Amino acid sequence: MAQGERQRSVLRINLDILNAVREEGDAKPTHILYKANLSHERLVKYLDDLLTKGLIEVKQDGENRTYRITPKGVGFLIEIRKAETFIQGFGLAI
Amino acid sequence: MPGGPFITFALNFCSGFVALLTSYYAYKSNRLVRSSILGAIGVGFMLLGVGLVVDAGTSLVSGKLLVEFPAERILTLLASFTYLAIQMVAYLVVAMGYAKAAYGKQVATVPVVLAGAAALGLYRFSLLSYFVAMILLAFIVFQGLLIRSGGKSRYSAMVLLGFGLILAAHAILLFSVLALWPGLFVVGTGVQFFGFLSLMAFVVRSEVVGSG
Repeated sequence: MAQGERQRSVLRINLDILNAVREEGDAKPTHILYKANLSHERLVKYLDDLLTKGLIEVKQDGENRTYRITPKGVGFLIEIRKAETFIQGFGLAI
Repeated sequence: MPGGPFITFALNFCSGFVALLTSYYAYKSNRLVRSSILGAIGVGFMLLGVGLVVDAGTSLVSGKLLVEFPAERILTLLASFTYLAIQMVAYLVVAMGYAKAAYGKQVATVPVVLAGAAALGLYRFSLLSYFVAMILLAFIVFQGLLIRSGGKSRYSAMVLLGFGLILAAHAILLFSVLALWPGLFVVGTGVQFFGFLSLMAFVVRSEVVGSG
């Protein structure tokens, strides 16, 4: 159960990050940091994870680094939203 | 009731299809969310779906063939017994999922003890299975009401309505068996179908809302 709860909270954080990136289009790390309410250290860890999974992509322009959601990320977001709506019917939350 | 077996077949077949559909979406959601209650709902509805489809076939066969081939009565009785047993296990699994989510692992054994104690009396199994299913469904509806009153979800109303109608259907089915009233049995099957229809409306809505 404890492991399940940990996984759910990771899922929630990933959702918040993906939503922030999608809303912004090209999202700066500070914006994602603020929207997802994470420390810089944790944000880097989660962004690396999402990059590895191909859910977001990074764009480097000189010193500026921005993140954009990929089509795979959009698909993942839709699937998660469907699952979230489904489980809400049974009184659960992600 | 003329056409009764065919109506029962159609209603149970559709209910079984919806149960299997709900099971699929519970499984799909569980792959992402990893929740014990979703796992229980997935298994419970899969069992229900299989049981209802089996029962649908039985009700169609029992309509006419048994008059001509009495020997097949044993097979029909066996199929009916299997369906009732599967149904009881299915609601037990869902009730346990709710109990575990709400009260923790230890209390989740209460529905098992309840169903086990009741199942000991195999005398009049059909009556007993409807009664046990009613108790388990009453527990599920009670948990659904608690969830609803806690304002945790906007989408729980359709699930609650679905389980509520299935509970009402079991009360009607139990009464129809006690009163030996075949017409009322068809009505009960119809009410159960509307319960599953409400669950299907919820599944479709969750897909549409999620995609939007």
